Amino acid sequence: MIEIVLILFAPVIGGFMYGFERVVRARMQNRQGPPLLQPFYDMYKLLNKQAFIVNPYHTILGIMHFVTLWVVVAFIILGQNFLYVIFLHLLSTIFIILAGFSVKSIYSHIGSNRELLAAIAYEPILIMLAVGFFLINETFSISAIRENSPSIIALFLLFLAYLMVIPIKLKKSPFDASEAHQEIVGGVEIEFSGLFFEFIYMAKWLEYVFVYALLMLFMGSNTVLGLALALFIFFVINLVDNSTARIKMTHLIKIVLSVGLTLGVVNLIGLSYV
Amino acid sequence: MTTYSILIIAPLGFSAMTLFRSITIRNLITIAAVLGLSALSVKNILFSNTQVVEIFPHAVHNLFIVIDTVILLYFLLQGIITKNALVKLLAIFQIALYAIVVSLSPTLISNDILVDDTSSVMYLVINIIGGIIIVYALKYIESEEFSRFKKNAFIAMLFFFLSVMNFIVSTNNIEIFFLLFELTTLCSYLLIGYRNDELSVQNAQKALWMNQIGGVAILVALIFSIIQYDTIYFDILIKNIDKVYLLPIVLLAVAAFVKGASIPFDKWLLGAMVAPTPVSAILHSATMVKIAPYLMLKLSPAMSDFVSLTITLIGTFVFFAASLLALGKDFFKEILGYSTIAMLALMMALAAIGTPEAITACLVFILFHALSKALLFLQAGILEKSFHLKYVNDINGLVNRSPLVVFFIIIGFASLTLPPFGAFIAKFMAIESIAGEIANNPLYVFALIFVALGSVFLTLLYFKVVTKLFAKDVDVTSRHVEISKFYTIPSFLLFILLIIGIYISFEKELLSFMEIVVPLLLIAVVPVLFATLFFKKAHRVKEYNCGEKDEIVLNMYYFHMPKTVHKYIINISIIGMSLLIVGVLL
Repeated sequence: MIEIVLILFAPVIGGFMYGFERVVRARMQNRQGPPLLQPFYDMYKLLNKQAFIVNPYHTILGIMHFVTLWVVVAFIILGQNFLYVIFLHLLSTIFIILAGFSVKSIYSHIGSNRELLAAIAYEPILIMLAVGFFLINETFSISAIRENSPSIIALFLLFLAYLMVIPIKLKKSPFDASEAHQEIVGGVEIEFSGLFFEFIYMAKWLEYVFVYALLMLFMGSNTVLGLALALFIFFVINLVDNSTARIKMTHLIKIVLSVGLTLGVVNLIGLSYV
Repeated sequence: MTTYSILIIAPLGFSAMTLFRSITIRNLITIAAVLGLSALSVKNILFSNTQVVEIFPHAVHNLFIVIDTVILLYFLLQGIITKNALVKLLAIFQIALYAIVVSLSPTLISNDILVDDTSSVMYLVINIIGGIIIVYALKYIESEEFSRFKKNAFIAMLFFFLSVMNFIVSTNNIEIFFLLFELTTLCSYLLIGYRNDELSVQNAQKALWMNQIGGVAILVALIFSIIQYDTIYFDILIKNIDKVYLLPIVLLAVAAFVKGASIPFDKWLLGAMVAPTPVSAILHSATMVKIAPYLMLKLSPAMSDFVSLTITLIGTFVFFAASLLALGKDFFKEILGYSTIAMLALMMALAAIGTPEAITACLVFILFHALSKALLFLQAGILEKSFHLKYVNDINGLVNRSPLVVFFIIIGFASLTLPPFGAFIAKFMAIESIAGEIANNPLYVFALIFVALGSVFLTLLYFKVVTKLFAKDVDVTSRHVEISKFYTIPSFLLFILLIIGIYISFEKELLSFMEIVVPLLLIAVVPVLFATLFFKKAHRVKEYNCGEKDEIVLNMYYFHMPKTVHKYIINISIIGMSLLIVGVLL
């Protein structure tokens, strides 16, 4: 029952996280910032906008991105297979990439291409993470991972590698080249507007849920510690976001792949010796 | 008559029957033949659970020796005619080695024919998918400008190929296996050189000498098998295997790498693109390259830990490298070619791991890869024939001109990468199997990284191509192009088989109900929405594009790899294979 409620309200939870983040970021920059509910006010305002679309494919693929991401989050909450969830998440990324390429807009294309390159950087790390959990729990099932004791110590290096994935997925500095508001004005989002932008907006919220739900798995059965970890990392990510500059896409790939894969390999080899 | 003998002899008969007929009669014979062969292979997997074994009489063995000698002499002759030193040299080398093999007489005798479950699965792939491609070829070859006899010979050769393939997956005798291996080489040589222009002849020769290397490897393996184990039979060799003397196994594995076009032997398969598209389709999906994982599956019980680890690492490395190289390509068939190389390497790696789960994954992969690749190559043929398109960058907005072709291409790519399709399941199980092996040997971590990176590269590659299909302006008036039934029906059949495949993977519990249904719905709903949702109420606007008004032409992104990377990749794979042989010798 609790699962169904969580699944239904997942976008709302994500919305609150996004709102909270804006508050936190503002305070870090020593300004007042918007109210906590600002994302929902945005949503309400967008509802009343006139509907503009470029072409139906673009719009449909954008909506499918949101729907698939919701399903991904639902699969995590239901405790399905970790590896499977990662591939399903790739499907949702593919939808948004296809959407970006389906319009004749330079910014959209560049954004899509960067999104694609970002996927090259973080997907292998996610797969290694899944294998790391597999080596400890002897299963890919998320519900089994949730029943076992915290594995953050055994998987510490993979945990560090995962910390590099979070800013990529949430479009945070220094790894936010795929969105890059000042440079390519949001990338794939640029051609969405009004009602249809809401789906992209909500998908963004769902990414928060996705990322932090996976993070909580490091604490296994201990939900309180899991929430504490998520909150702590939430602050860290925002602190880093506020204090670093954006790096180029090529650097992003090089850094994330070289550092991330090395951390992952060392951790997995270590696990197989224990 | 037993099923296997019908499957071997009948295509030979059809092959002869199609040679001198008019188009209609030839087409009717072909369709009936394909239906018959497919029905037989389905019946075989459903109703016969026992292993079939048979020993050939002495006269048949002698006949095979004669045929083999003729083929080797033919290769030599081709080498002399085309003045290709490499072909000549390898042919002479093969003849000498073959003479040694024939002169030795091992005493441990077993069955010449052994049809097991793996063979039954291979029958399905060969006859159903191969058959569908032949039906497609009926129309395709008519649109080319060749003499009537040459056109019929094309169909006849394809049937002959099926026969050889059916035989090669039924035999237990390495000597006969060698004969059939050479026959497939011959078939591919003839088919690749079919157009008889300069490039075709050149590529055909490349295919010939590369595959001859495989032949040499098998012959040397045979000699060592006779000396060390006193047998020329797979089952005895594998049963009596001594983990200290693994040279025959490793050499056979090298032959598999050659047939599977693994890097550094990849050039022959890429060169095969010059042939008419049905040739690529049949080489990549149902025949030829599938010998590679099949042979690995046969050998895997005899592998030591070292051998199985090394082959897994080579296989996964090639999977990664070929996917990487494919990212810079624009020629549609070349992209498909590289992805075949990549996936075959992964299949071989899975076979080498050899756990029950890995073997299931390998078989699933063989089956579904064949389906998807056949579907994609058929579309490549349609693009060439109906739209005169060869390069991905030119297929802008194809969705307006032929939604059906676009649909099949997307299904083809999706079925290779996304849940719930078979090839995805195989990749999924591959990662699971490798993860399981890491607990025993940490070096498998590298195999894992190669698979993880390779599969992401491949996914991106495919969807990079798909993006081109959608790229379109605001509202273009659609111009539909009619496509022949001979093209669409085979594509539909393959599509239906893919769907049946999903049902089977559900029956076999490879994935749970939810894991299959949910993504299927997500993927299926997209074309439905495309066809029904038009957003009539929403206003159409030009792209905002930050208000920039300049005319722009958007092309595809390429991720071109410098030559040095290519060189490194070749070197690493050569080192890997040398390591494999040297490691076994020591």
